[in-house]
Amino acid sequence: MEHEDANTDEAKSAVNGSLALDSASLDDVREVPANMDAFLAAIERRAWRMAEIHLGNREDGMDAVQDAMLRLVRHYADKPPGEWTPLFWGILRRRIVDLQRRRKVRSIIVGWIGGGRDDDGDELPAWEPADDSPDPSARLQDSQAYGDIVVAVRKLPQRQREAFTLRIMEGLDVAETAAVMGCSDGSVKTHLSRAMHSLRDQLEAWR
Amino acid sequence: MSQHDRDLERRARELYLRASRDVDPATAGRLRAARRTALAAPHESPARRLMLPAGAFAVVALASLMLWQPGVTPPSAPPAVTQSADTEATDLPPDPDSTDPALYQNLQFYSWLAYNDTQPSAAHK
Repeated sequence: MEHEDANTDEAKSAVNGSLALDSASLDDVREVPANMDAFLAAIERRAWRMAEIHLGNREDGMDAVQDAMLRLVRHYADKPPGEWTPLFWGILRRRIVDLQRRRKVRSIIVGWIGGGRDDDGDELPAWEPADDSPDPSARLQDSQAYGDIVVAVRKLPQRQREAFTLRIMEGLDVAETAAVMGCSDGSVKTHLSRAMHSLRDQLEAWR
Repeated sequence: MSQHDRDLERRARELYLRASRDVDPATAGRLRAARRTALAAPHESPARRLMLPAGAFAVVALASLMLWQPGVTPPSAPPAVTQSADTEATDLPPDPDSTDPALYQNLQFYSWLAYNDTQPSAAHK
């Protein structure tokens, strides 16, 4: 049971405040697409960044985005273009959760077959897919700042991470974020409020 | 909401959008290829989407009809009941294998009883 009523005032304040986002960049993101090709072309890079933030792995992020695009085209191409945005992010969110669960199961299986401890009996870290690509921050002009925010966001609990990335980074409104996350508006506000509280502490250096 | 929170949100969003724009060419190429693959995939029409539940409903309805047939005696009725009904209908002597042995021990008594039932006036005299 989620504590949806907790911190309601603080949550509302956080959500209302987030409306002060840069409106120009918001318009770029929220244009109604002319067709499915244009929609996917506009969203694919952000989707990959989003998946990478949540999964911590470029290849898994690519898999998640490919699958989300395929499912959107196959099942929802006949829906009005205005509905594609929340549908796409909802599909991608479920795909990310699936991949995270599979990774957890793989870690457990590796532990069962003896991969969980080294020769000295010390516990090895949980299995993670190899990622030999350079860190995302290395390719960015603001590499250090982006790396900081990604590290901080990855430390958040899953629902808070989803609320922050969808509502603040991607710029969905509260109702859309709630639809994508499969919860109520109040729950989104609560998760977002807690995420902001945690990020304030983690990113104190940004002050 | 404090100014610090607003700055944090704005900066996080700008960095995310910039990072999305600055994706390396190899990854951008893979994303384009994934998009083309997705767009080339066959679309699922609304009519086809309805076919699966409709087919499942038809199968369930057919199975229910086969299992539930009102007024029809199940083929696996107990044989003893059938035999008993046949015996009453044909007036044949009871099957010795399935009849109470006491009936044969008192056979003369039952014969006398049956004789008296057919001739009530003679019995009263």
